[in-house]
Amino acid sequence: MINFEEELKKFHLSLEVEDAEEAIYNQDLTDMADIFVKMIKDIEEHETTVQSKPKNHNAMSRMEEE
Amino acid sequence: MICYNCGCRLSEHDFCTGCGADVSIYKKIMYISNRFYNDGLEKAGVRDLTGALTSLRQSLKFNKNNIEARNLLGLVYFEMGEVVAALSEWVISKNLRPKKNIADDYIDMIQSNQARLDSINQTIKKYNQALLYCNQGSSDLAVIQLKKVLSLNPKLIRAHQLLALLYINGEEWEKARKELNKCIQIDTNNTTTMRYLKEVENMLIPEEGVKAASKKKSQSKDAVTYQSGNETIIQPLNMKESKGVSTFVNMGIGIVIGIAIACFLILPARIQAAKSTINDELRVVSEQLDAKTATIDEMEQQVNNLTEETAKLQEDLDGYVGTDGALQATDKLLLASGAYLKNAADIVTVSEYLDQIDLESLGTSASESFTALYDTLTGLIGPELAKTYFDEGYNDYRQEKYASAIPKLAKAYQYDQTNGDALYYLANCYRRNGNVDKAKEAYAKVIELFPGTKKASESGTYLAEINNGN
Repeated sequence: MINFEEELKKFHLSLEVEDAEEAIYNQDLTDMADIFVKMIKDIEEHETTVQSKPKNHNAMSRMEEE
Repeated sequence: MICYNCGCRLSEHDFCTGCGADVSIYKKIMYISNRFYNDGLEKAGVRDLTGALTSLRQSLKFNKNNIEARNLLGLVYFEMGEVVAALSEWVISKNLRPKKNIADDYIDMIQSNQARLDSINQTIKKYNQALLYCNQGSSDLAVIQLKKVLSLNPKLIRAHQLLALLYINGEEWEKARKELNKCIQIDTNNTTTMRYLKEVENMLIPEEGVKAASKKKSQSKDAVTYQSGNETIIQPLNMKESKGVSTFVNMGIGIVIGIAIACFLILPARIQAAKSTINDELRVVSEQLDAKTATIDEMEQQVNNLTEETAKLQEDLDGYVGTDGALQATDKLLLASGAYLKNAADIVTVSEYLDQIDLESLGTSASESFTALYDTLTGLIGPELAKTYFDEGYNDYRQEKYASAIPKLAKAYQYDQTNGDALYYLANCYRRNGNVDKAKEAYAKVIELFPGTKKASESGTYLAEINNGN
């Protein structure tokens, strides 16, 4: 049995033509490709960080040995 | 497909030939996006607009730069009556690819017609108003607004669904089913529509719910769908085209309706206009007639005045004629006087002039001098003239020429009124000539003027005879 009140809540106000511009600007256009590229860049940055950290560690251990 | 890292065109390898970046996952993302686009295109082709919408949104979630998917999404929105959403997608598409983009044509198509754009905006406002009415519980007003919305934008699925929901709430199942069927004609696989329709059909005929599925299948076979370029054409199979006879029948009905409209709507207006014109003309003519009648009355009055004046002038003229007559009598008297002075013995000529003077007609208009001269002249020639007339008249009397004797004896008495014989014989002439009245008058005068004479006694005898004879 359909509940009128519940069904009515599923209907929303339509955007008017004047509001279309704002809606376009506010639209989140981030896609999976963007996320993927960001992830790749984050990984690369992480790798760069990780690669630089062992060098510092080695230098520190040498200093301790001395 | 280009490399996300360097922008180089990618080959069939899983790495970029330009920068060496690993593009295997990136390529898979692009493939998935294209796959969803193809799915959306297929669904749009069979009017599964909701399914197409979902697939195309998925496609754009994987690749926002999939221009074809975005343009198709705009078209699907437009077909569902969501014009603002369609415009938004096309505008984004145009921004992403400014050149060689069909979205440009779509935007132009809508923006070039300002009236259509205004109509779209009105539709949206009315829909929002209807939704507000629904939330306020004013279902009747909402139904009216939604009907207006659908008259302007018959493809707006949300409006059809909301109207169907209102009908369902009002338990107007047939109307709800009609609206939902319209929804299905636009979007064949809308979940909300299906849910509402199932509810409606269950309420109408509980057993029909089972039959509905088979019926729907048979309905779907009633149409042939095929692709022509970017457009999907759905051609119904069982649609009958009007043939020749029905065309003529329809034309006949149309002509009859036209004539009826002309008779009942146009002709009365024309007749009214004609009557109005005629009344105006009649009024003008009546005014002219009144003016002319007034003129005629005035003229008649003038004619009467002139007639009276003419009568008065005629009287004056008669007076003048009288005067003229007097003058003529004076002329005759002068001529008679002149003739007498010239030759006193020529009494015949003098008497001719005197005879032409009518003393009776002159009456009192004759002057004293005229009367004196006339009397003098008559006195001078009268006895001789009277004698001449008496002799001639008596002679005629003796010869029984009474008609000839009468004027002569009358003249004889006129010029000599002491001549009683002349009067007596004149009376006898009248009597014997049959002029009784004149005879009686003359006899009476003899008796009166010459009493005691033989003439008077004989006149009395004759007068008695005449009176006894009457």
